[in-house]
Amino acid sequence: MRNFFLLIRRYNFILIFLLLQGFSFFLLTRNNGYQRAAIIGTSNNITGQIFDAYSNVTDYLTLGIANATLAKENAMLRQQDSSALYSKLFEIVKVEDSASLQQYEYISARVINNSVKNVNNYLTLDKGSLHGVLPEMAVISSDGVVGIVKDVSEHYSTVISLLHRATKISSKIAKNNYFGSTIWDGKSPEFAKLYDIPSHAKLEIGDSILTSTYSGIFPRDILVGTVSEIGNNGQSFKDIQIKLSTDFRTISYVYVVRNLLKAERDSLETRTIEDIQE
Amino acid sequence: MIGTILQNLLRFLLLVFIQVFILNQITLPGNVNAYINPNIYILFLFMLPININKQLLLLLSFICGLTIDVFSSTAGMHASACLFIGLMRPGLVNLIMPRDGYENTVELTLPGLGFRTFFIYTSTLVVLHHFVLYLIEAFNFLNFGDLLLRVIISSIATLFLITLSQLLTLRKR
Repeated sequence: MRNFFLLIRRYNFILIFLLLQGFSFFLLTRNNGYQRAAIIGTSNNITGQIFDAYSNVTDYLTLGIANATLAKENAMLRQQDSSALYSKLFEIVKVEDSASLQQYEYISARVINNSVKNVNNYLTLDKGSLHGVLPEMAVISSDGVVGIVKDVSEHYSTVISLLHRATKISSKIAKNNYFGSTIWDGKSPEFAKLYDIPSHAKLEIGDSILTSTYSGIFPRDILVGTVSEIGNNGQSFKDIQIKLSTDFRTISYVYVVRNLLKAERDSLETRTIEDIQE
Repeated sequence: MIGTILQNLLRFLLLVFIQVFILNQITLPGNVNAYINPNIYILFLFMLPININKQLLLLLSFICGLTIDVFSSTAGMHASACLFIGLMRPGLVNLIMPRDGYENTVELTLPGLGFRTFFIYTSTLVVLHHFVLYLIEAFNFLNFGDLLLRVIISSIATLFLITLSQLLTLRKR
């Protein structure tokens, strides 16, 4: 026992190093769960407030762009409003629409921290569990897809950006519905790759790529980007580069999408898979 | 003693502020963006007093890295890379010391060490730190050539900023 203590005393420097290094890797490898909420969660509230204050200042710098985007969106929404339509009837009878059911709810949020420099990028939003944000919800901007919610604290939430190596967005080609996955290649924040499109699929530069509902996270037909380069490497799948419709450098307001029917769909799908396995 | 602690604490806060709110927010056009990523905050670890306790140095390295991690949602990445600085610094300081030894009062700064020694001292630790950092970040994602390019370009950017800050803030006595 005495030797054991001597050993610890002699190598305490390297032991402290290994201990702290072990703790770092513990933080790195664990993706979510209780500890993350306990450690990063509390600090999330603190750093959230700091970034909040910071973006209160820097928001003024991108005010012009943010205004233009919001104005454009307002114009679009106004067009859809009933007051913008010329009535062909003499009288409109308002009827509660029973033919459709609300499936998606949109929670507007401000981006208070954002990065495009790393291989794995995250955003921080100023809305959290108090406002109804939950992990795995989709995040979109008025231009297109942004990412997926990861961790949520009371007032803030972090979002895995589309510019992250773990993000895989199930997408389709607008004109012929061939589906594949959009994955970022870690280089320019303006471009991503579209995988799993068979080489016989007809495709031209400039074609729109939209989200498909296969993942159950994104609503259908949200713009991901447009095709900017098509390569054929002689294999059975095409090598497609797309220009992302969202400008991640200037993004400042986003919507968190809440799928009201997600729980129902998920439980149905897991039941089907379990039934087959039995 | 209190003066030294206060001075280092202020330096730490200032460097973290510059790193998080200025350097991490700059975005450059196109592909260049992913390669130039200066990390000036590690200057804090370089400038800690020469006679600092080795164990304390490790602990400060860890805290310093973790602070950056918390602000950039990269749990453990910077902490791990900084720990390597903490591990290697005492040995490196011994190595660059002249044969008759430095006095305990010498400062690990550009004016204190002279350009040549300071450059060897910082560049070794900067490259080590950046290599570990981008290795962890990339893992099996980017190819090795890409990784080395990132390390080299970012290291040069970091070294440039460190040298510049030394020239701007410190005067030869």
